[in-house]
Amino acid sequence: MSFLTFAALAVGLLAGLPVAAHLLRRRHAEERPFPPTSLLAASPPTARKRSRIEDRALLGVRALAVLALAVLGATPFVSCSHLSIERRAGASVALAIVVDDSQSMRAPVEGETTSRFDRAREAALDLVEGARAGDAIAVVLAGASPRVALAPTTDLAAAIDAVRKLTPTDRATDLDGSVQLARDLVARMPQPDRRVVLLSDLRDGKTDPPLEGDGDVTLWAPLQDLAGGATGDCAILGASRTATRAEVRVACARGDGDTSPSAGRSITIRAPGETAARATLPLPAVVEVAIYPLDLPPIGDDIVLLAEIGGDDLIDENDRATLAPAGGELAIGIVSDAAANRVETGGPPPIEQGYTALGLGATAKALPTTPDEDAELAPLGALIVDDPPGFTPEQRRALVAWVEKGGTLLVTLGPTSDAAPLGSGFAGLLPGIVRWGPSPSTGADPAKAVAFGATAQGLAEIAPRGRASLEPAAVEGAELLAAWQDGAPLLVRRRLGRGNVLALTLPFSTAQSDFALRPAFLALLDRVAELARAANGTARVEVGQAVALDGYAKVSAEYLPIEGGAPVPVALRGEGSSSRLEPDLAGRYRVRLDDTETIRVATLPAREIDLRTRAVATSASAGELGGEAPTIDASPWVALGLLALFAAETMLRALSSRRPEAGASTT
Amino acid sequence: MQRRSSPLAALERPFEGIPIDWGTIAPLRLRARAIAEGVYAGEHRSARKGAGVEFGGQRPYVPGDDLRFFDKRSLLRHGKLMIREFETETDRALWVLVDATKSMSFRGSGPGAKLAYAGLLAAALARVAVATGDPVGIAFVGGVGAKLVPARSGSEAFERAVWALSTLAAGGDFVGAEEGFERALGPIAERARRGSTIVFLSDLLDLPPGAARALAALATRGRAVVVGHVLDPDEETLPYEGHSRFRAFEGDVVVEADPADVRAGYLERLASLRATWVRDLAARGGGLVHATTSLPAADVVRALLAGFARRPG
Repeated sequence: MSFLTFAALAVGLLAGLPVAAHLLRRRHAEERPFPPTSLLAASPPTARKRSRIEDRALLGVRALAVLALAVLGATPFVSCSHLSIERRAGASVALAIVVDDSQSMRAPVEGETTSRFDRAREAALDLVEGARAGDAIAVVLAGASPRVALAPTTDLAAAIDAVRKLTPTDRATDLDGSVQLARDLVARMPQPDRRVVLLSDLRDGKTDPPLEGDGDVTLWAPLQDLAGGATGDCAILGASRTATRAEVRVACARGDGDTSPSAGRSITIRAPGETAARATLPLPAVVEVAIYPLDLPPIGDDIVLLAEIGGDDLIDENDRATLAPAGGELAIGIVSDAAANRVETGGPPPIEQGYTALGLGATAKALPTTPDEDAELAPLGALIVDDPPGFTPEQRRALVAWVEKGGTLLVTLGPTSDAAPLGSGFAGLLPGIVRWGPSPSTGADPAKAVAFGATAQGLAEIAPRGRASLEPAAVEGAELLAAWQDGAPLLVRRRLGRGNVLALTLPFSTAQSDFALRPAFLALLDRVAELARAANGTARVEVGQAVALDGYAKVSAEYLPIEGGAPVPVALRGEGSSSRLEPDLAGRYRVRLDDTETIRVATLPAREIDLRTRAVATSASAGELGGEAPTIDASPWVALGLLALFAAETMLRALSSRRPEAGASTT
Repeated sequence: MQRRSSPLAALERPFEGIPIDWGTIAPLRLRARAIAEGVYAGEHRSARKGAGVEFGGQRPYVPGDDLRFFDKRSLLRHGKLMIREFETETDRALWVLVDATKSMSFRGSGPGAKLAYAGLLAAALARVAVATGDPVGIAFVGGVGAKLVPARSGSEAFERAVWALSTLAAGGDFVGAEEGFERALGPIAERARRGSTIVFLSDLLDLPPGAARALAALATRGRAVVVGHVLDPDEETLPYEGHSRFRAFEGDVVVEADPADVRAGYLERLASLRATWVRDLAARGGGLVHATTSLPAADVVRALLAGFARRPG
């Protein structure tokens, strides 16, 4: 603040003058000589009572008026603590506010009791309330998968309402996806100044290049101080149980300090509302991601149990989870030629290693051949068949039935697929004939490989020795997820009943291409697992993953709080017979599908426990983008308040003057 | 025209007298004469029963009565022992005791200070007494420059009384000064002869607690005591409004009060004070006359004369 500010505020000290005047006035009650004074009784003076009511009100109003005058004088110099943007030449702004609603935002701000999410929401409100007519506001949530909470709108009231309704979730953090989504929302807005404001603790665990703006859309991350503070945390990702055994999957993120977050802590199994532990297991000093078995005393399946990590850490909400019945893991069957997919450095085939690396909680099961019986396929959530020589009629029948019930089939097409023996083929799953031939393209078109996200860039040069081609009938009605540079399909998705059939026109074998060596390979495996969980309603899904509840006339879901209590209804996405449950919170969900009732368990994503901070480009924290600058001019409001005070003062004086004056003087 | 002085300023000078605010009461001599002429002098006739020339009635005989007045006819006719009484025309002295303490200097909405009004009443009574041939004397309670006027007859006595009253200033504080008050009554107690009438003109404020009984004690040896209660109209009604600090003229009493709140209690205590005086005086055959300064002085003088005319013999 400048000298002028201090000088203006010093005027506020004059508020003491009315107080002094009031006290002087009160002390000098009129003195009246009166011989029979001894016959008078001292009275609690009505005048003084009145002075408490009227004079003090008058005093208060006058003092406030002086203070308001001082503030009015100082207003142009007073810094406002509200977050605001700095406009370029006063132009309208298209603002996409990315609010991180991931679980790490539940942690308190360093040195405060307010959570990071509350701070981010307040900042978003500041920005929206500081917007002017003509500004467009969009709100994007950064919890995976990124969602649009508010499409770009100039209706500021709707924007304020949307921001106020935001709540934290247990989702993982997807800063890249959310920033990209926000950027897309405002990129084509007519406002000359387009910005993405990232309100996040930046803890997405990635070491990718720093986040920065892109072209016309500027990125601004004003709350980088949220990333400060403790970083150590342990969480229960998931827990399952049988009658006598429990398995608890724990992940810990080592903080900046020397102390391990798991040191001195233990896993406890108990029933909700109980304090006595059914089983306890101390945690090792160092934990990254591990599954810990605990022996349980015989407990009926009808009793709900909780796994809990005692002690304090950064986020308390992820220290407990409901034990789901065992067997709820996503099982993925893999049929591949071990010889063709041999890894030179040893170990299981690349697909199994990929799923292990992804840590999706999926169990990869190597199968010698493609199952042709329903019982073999039933436990599987997904099936990956690498370069099969077609499917026999029995296999096709079983596969079609399984996919229609919600299975996800990924079939890669290679030279073996072109040499299918008589009677084998892909009919029912993939219309037409598959042929193998040289590839006129050296790779995929990244712009058309949307299914691979940021990893699509690596598909531009995969040097294929050949590629499979599909007949137009196979592509008709299918969703093209990736294409070769000449437009031929690379990855297509066909909906079949409640399930999916994915066809990749390239095998995983490194002898045919570099595909299995590219990051897109892991993205594809992740996609398969995600589709499997979403499509067949696997009992256990990660928070934020959509569970497809298609084909039912009447669907509803409710969240069952971990510690008991009334179920909370959950809004489903989609309409009609195509509904999606996208759990925001970890825990149990009761889903009613027509006349049946099932329990789904949403678990924490392991990657959310990685609390490493994402870097932000220097340009995204530049002061010229905004900050806690004095952009909000409160002087009109102060002036209005001052007028109101003067009006009140006049009214009070009028009231006071109606009081009868004191009796006539005797002098 | 008398100049009004500030009571507050005067109160700051405890050892100096407070000049009398005469207001519209001045000039004293002329107004006293005018009032006295309006009062029927005959009212100041003797009401004392005893030896005389004019039959005054009969009463039952009590042992010790003078047998010279025994009514033989009544005994013969009715068989009762009766005594005949006669009225006597005596030169009865009038003593006017004027309260000149500080509180009497107060003037509110009345025509003048209470002391000025009391002086007017005293002068008018002196004039009436002189006109009927009775001796008149003036004595004071408190006051600065107050000089005792011995009881004398004739027009010179009136002039002496007027002079004493005109040169008077209010002063003195008798709160708790019981001995001082009795000392002020001393000259009258010594000089007032049997059959004298004593008129005490006072606001009865700030007097010592035993003042009423001490004054009533003078009503012995055939003496009569009548009190003229001189109050300002403001003291009668407490008309003020608004929170004030009330300061007494004597005794340094200061009370902060809102008159609206305390008015009823004040009037009640004022009536109680009067009732106390009336009770103590009545026990000795005396009486109390309201002498609020807003009342016509002639009416008050007439009431005072009637008051001691009704006294028992």
